[in-house]
Amino acid sequence: MVKSNQKEFRKRDFFYLVPLWLLSLIVPDADDLYSYRSKEFKRRELYYLGALLLLPLIWPDPHLHHLMVLAGIYAILALGLSLFLGYAGQISLGHAAFFGIGTYTTAILTTRYAFPPFLAFWASAFVAAIVAYLIGRPILKLKGYFLALATLGFGEIFLVIVSESQSLTGGVIGIFGIPWFSIGGFSFDTYLKQYYLTWGVLLGLFLFSKNLVRSKLGRALLAVASGEDAAASIGINVAQVKIGVFVTSAAFAGFAGSLFACIMSTANPEAFGLNLSVLIVMMVILGGMGNLYGPVFGSVLLTYLMDILSRYQEWSLPIYGVILILLLIFFPDGIGTRLGIRLIYLIGYWAKKKKRDEGKP
Amino acid sequence: MNFWTPIPQLLSSGITIGAIYALVALGFVTITRASQIINFAQGEFVMLGGVITFFLLKGSNLPYPLSALIAMTVVVMIGFLLQLLVIYPLRKASVLILIMATLGASIFLSSTSGMLFGTLPKTLPPFSGEEPLQIWGVTILPQSIWVLGTTFLLLIVLYLLSHRTLLGKAMEASSTDPLGADLLGISRNLMVFLAFGVSAGIGAIAGILITPIFFTSYNSGTLLGLKGFIAAVLGGWGKNSGAILGGFALGIVESLSMAFIPSGYKDAVAFAILLLILYFRPKGILGSPFIDSRRW
Repeated sequence: MVKSNQKEFRKRDFFYLVPLWLLSLIVPDADDLYSYRSKEFKRRELYYLGALLLLPLIWPDPHLHHLMVLAGIYAILALGLSLFLGYAGQISLGHAAFFGIGTYTTAILTTRYAFPPFLAFWASAFVAAIVAYLIGRPILKLKGYFLALATLGFGEIFLVIVSESQSLTGGVIGIFGIPWFSIGGFSFDTYLKQYYLTWGVLLGLFLFSKNLVRSKLGRALLAVASGEDAAASIGINVAQVKIGVFVTSAAFAGFAGSLFACIMSTANPEAFGLNLSVLIVMMVILGGMGNLYGPVFGSVLLTYLMDILSRYQEWSLPIYGVILILLLIFFPDGIGTRLGIRLIYLIGYWAKKKKRDEGKP
Repeated sequence: MNFWTPIPQLLSSGITIGAIYALVALGFVTITRASQIINFAQGEFVMLGGVITFFLLKGSNLPYPLSALIAMTVVVMIGFLLQLLVIYPLRKASVLILIMATLGASIFLSSTSGMLFGTLPKTLPPFSGEEPLQIWGVTILPQSIWVLGTTFLLLIVLYLLSHRTLLGKAMEASSTDPLGADLLGISRNLMVFLAFGVSAGIGAIAGILITPIFFTSYNSGTLLGLKGFIAAVLGGWGKNSGAILGGFALGIVESLSMAFIPSGYKDAVAFAILLLILYFRPKGILGSPFIDSRRW
């Protein structure tokens, strides 16, 4: 009786541990990879980069390429949000609106005024940043639940304005026929080219954020997140730091929105609702707050999850809600964070449990 | 047509929808008074109240009062389950995690309801007759009077519950000073559990009252919940009287705004009010017991 019990335990141990161990090899760990001291690229980061470069070549599946393009766009969004949410500790549920502003700026400029997409790309980020500055001045003095609600309200107002001002944005129907992204006559018209475009932009923004968080502003962000009064008392202008990071993250969202417009070639208000904002925040949470690899990993994970769920049609949203809650309950600090250490705890727990069971008469 | 002609009519419809906002706001306030949590799935209780009553009335041919009662019980059970399965495991989590978890619950509830009961908008027959009353040239539906009366009644019940019973005092104690309440032997988890039940019940009543006037569909809960929250902030966060005042104020302003701007912008009005109130007077009209203690 006892023996069979033990055997069962061993089997189950194996069942849980192998996937967890594999996951801990792939998933970037915030504490391990990004510390204050690491200035240069580590070898592991070069592996990630190499894998990203080679992935579409060794796996020539257009669907996968398209998913990775989407994941890249979401990763840009989540990267921007992680500066605001993960580093500065502020909550925003309105980031889909900045994404939408980016998309609509590109859509209107390229289809109505025949701007080249490259110029529209910068204009989108600029417009999103200006709107963020105007919105951020009043609402960033709020905290917690009320900041979340105010940003959410901003997102809803954006949706209403977009669907009602039909002469400018095409209303509920949206704008069609946005040209491909192109630089100097080179058009990004296949999934493979778009993949390299998106992840190239992401890489540039990633390096920018990596330097940003190690700058004076980055340190100030961490100080603001851990305590605003303390940060103010050591001479940090809290309001200015908050508005700075809000504008930066909105500009990231503007870049992402512009790419989204050029790749999807349509702009439609349905894509920028509360669900997208929730999705982006989830990407940041699941990746692990306060590190830069997290949002990228989280966006890839959730994009794939959404793709798998979309096969179940009407079941997809209920399952999504349940998975969301379960992930929040079991991985509130992010999936990758201290996975190795947690694995050791788990093994220790099982060993103790086994000992306890053996000690019983 | 004179500009002032539609104003009394808009006022009366604003008061009706304001009563519903007030009820949703009361649901938020009930939970906050017990635990400082904000439940973003509050609007789904309203939606579920209407949709389940419709399902019982049309699908199972139960009598109206019975189906309303069963729907209320079911929604209260859902509120209890929400607390047990989502809020209780996350009782030590940060504000952000709680917001996301309740939003996840809201996605789950609305999409499940769409799957089980269909995605078409639903409406119920009015409680007593469809003959509109004419008072001073203003058309008033009998259902509006039902809505106002029930809101008034619920307000009295809630006032008695929170100010005249030991339970209400215990709930308030566990919110304002959790450690002190623990030392006095008040179970904080039990208080939050009961508050979720009461709040879900209020939401369900609001849903049953509103469905005969406005259509309720599986995705209408989120917006109603947000507007109820705006009403609670507008009146004074954490106060029952504030929730009622804010609800009526929001309903009337939103309704009157239709005389001046295109009706498509109606939803933006509420959120614009939210941004203004949060900027100029975050305490709300009546002031708030929770906000003075924090720095803004």
